[in-house]
Amino acid sequence: MTPVDLDPRTAPPFPQAALPILRNTQLRKNVAHATDVILAKRARLVAEKTDWQQLRTAAAAIKDDVLGHLDQYLVEFEERCTAAGGHVHWASDAAEARRIVVDILRAEKATEVIKIKTMTSAEIQLNPALEAAGIKAVETDLAELILQLGDDEPSHIVAPALHVNRSQVREIFARRMGLAELTDDPEALTAAARAYLRKKFLSVDAAICGANFLVAETGAVTIVESEGNGRMCLTLPRTLIALSGIEKVVPTFRDLEVMLQVLARSATGERMNPYSSLWTGVTAGDGPQNFHVVLLDNGRSPILAHHTERQTLRCIRCAACQNTCPVYRQTGGHAYGSVYGGPIGAILTPQLMHMDHAQTLPFASSLCAACYEVCPVKINIPEVLIELRAQVVDRERKQAARAFDLMYIGMRVANSIFASAWRFRLAQRLGRIALRPFTRKDGWIHALPSLGSRWTMTRDLRGFPDQTFREWWASRPKEKS
Amino acid sequence: MSDARQQILSRIRHATSGPAAVDSDVPRNYIRRGSLDETARLSLMVERLQEYDADVVECTLGDLPACIADRLQSSGKQTFVAPPGLPAEWLARGFDWKIDHALTHAEIEACDGVVTACFAGVADSGTIVLHHSASEGRRILTLLPDWHLCVVRRSQIVETLPEYFARCLQPPSLATYISGPSATADIEMTRIKGVHGPRFLHVILVHDEPATEV
Repeated sequence: MTPVDLDPRTAPPFPQAALPILRNTQLRKNVAHATDVILAKRARLVAEKTDWQQLRTAAAAIKDDVLGHLDQYLVEFEERCTAAGGHVHWASDAAEARRIVVDILRAEKATEVIKIKTMTSAEIQLNPALEAAGIKAVETDLAELILQLGDDEPSHIVAPALHVNRSQVREIFARRMGLAELTDDPEALTAAARAYLRKKFLSVDAAICGANFLVAETGAVTIVESEGNGRMCLTLPRTLIALSGIEKVVPTFRDLEVMLQVLARSATGERMNPYSSLWTGVTAGDGPQNFHVVLLDNGRSPILAHHTERQTLRCIRCAACQNTCPVYRQTGGHAYGSVYGGPIGAILTPQLMHMDHAQTLPFASSLCAACYEVCPVKINIPEVLIELRAQVVDRERKQAARAFDLMYIGMRVANSIFASAWRFRLAQRLGRIALRPFTRKDGWIHALPSLGSRWTMTRDLRGFPDQTFREWWASRPKEKS
Repeated sequence: MSDARQQILSRIRHATSGPAAVDSDVPRNYIRRGSLDETARLSLMVERLQEYDADVVECTLGDLPACIADRLQSSGKQTFVAPPGLPAEWLARGFDWKIDHALTHAEIEACDGVVTACFAGVADSGTIVLHHSASEGRRILTLLPDWHLCVVRRSQIVETLPEYFARCLQPPSLATYISGPSATADIEMTRIKGVHGPRFLHVILVHDEPATEV
């Protein structure tokens, strides 16, 4: 298998990255199975929630309020967290965030650090930076551990190893943990991970986590999880570093009554995830006594400037849009060339890259809007996709090479045809004559030569009718009034 | 403060100063207050806990110490850790109790189980809420031992999550929300109990007030 590149700056364009995956039937089977299971569970639990739409509306409104006054809420969070004994750091970009984390760990003389699953850490490619600094990162989420030991990359926001099946996990664990006798029973595999990590939890003195929510009102941080690895990392080590995107803040503690209800149902199809933890700064005698929060911008703040795109930052990373997306379900996450795959990745990644990279992603969608329908914070993803497509095209149009690009020439011709009634009528007549030789008796065109074959390769084209509507209208027998 | 702080805040202020900013109140017309009577609320709590494979028994306030002793007995375990504020009559005789006066991680890890009280129960999701008071214990106490017995009083159980939030007169500085034992579905979406947290969650539901029949 070719190594997976999730750096949007260097990853191949989506259509190119998707091709080998589409031929990987095992991976597609794994992704289809996993997403089917989560989707079915989610649908059942959302259906039982009679106030689901009201919760979505409230969740969206809470995040809109946050995004509209983000500076105030961040400053408030900083003040409260600091008052509670935490240290708040600000990182403009990925490099700055990596440096802050490495510096904290160096000051603690840490040689090893345990980690809770955090997509933000993958976004800033923290693990290679830790390694370069001589600090060994140990992933403690089961899925992340599978990926780390298998030298693989996450393909899903909530279940990052959903593209790997049990026999593949068995192979990785048997090889890397030295357990030749291991079976592929998920229970045995989980037990192996438990035993492997237990020692780490009890011996490593520093941990890194993400954040699901930062509470401005109190300075608290919230992590939702299932396995308990999170609670281990949040309570056992001496030093804890929470890495959070600036958009993760909510105004008040009470806002969690909405967020916690929509998140678990959307993410894993549970009424509530097994464990949610909330802590505020440092508590004497309980948990890490050295607590840091790193607030990461890394391309987020400019997204706030535009009304349509701003909703991207409402995202609470539940991955419901990935599970439901007909494109993601075929390609899995790696094709998106970013840790954020699926519909949310298609709008988030290019914007985080200031539209300089990942320009093919806004086109990796059928615009069917299934993502919008399941989104717990009502992000109108298709609307943002269309806006971003327009931005990509506006940029491309300015490139000199596009003057000779067949598609752009075609679009300019179409523009001219649609602008004039007589050119449109002429084009209809010419089109009818030109396509007649390719139109079969059933009225359909099944194969076209040259450029047209790109269309007919995957779908048929309706042949031109013998008469246009206007011709029929003009020729119809006139009724006497 | 740092340059990055100034930079980020000024970028945000620049980006949010335009007409895109719309102020509106958050519409909170979702279900805040439950609609079940007490009997139905309690049976929902029990049902949801059992769906998580938690073991639930009910008893009266007077029977509580005996009930705790019975649960400990049937666990087959011997060494239990208890938070310092746990009522003395809950510490059943015949077992080895470690009271958490700054026990080390290794000492807690060596215990077979833990007994705690809780702050609230949420029936709708079968959630047990700990605010880590003296009778609920430090966070680590309910994490390392493989077996957790939690005493939930009937008066602590609310139907909906917003009702729990309404009960918090002050936001807690520490809180843990437990909905069933530790679990994972990371391997082919097969739910496996007990990855790192306690594999066994036992709940005693105490009828601490006379039932108020409607």
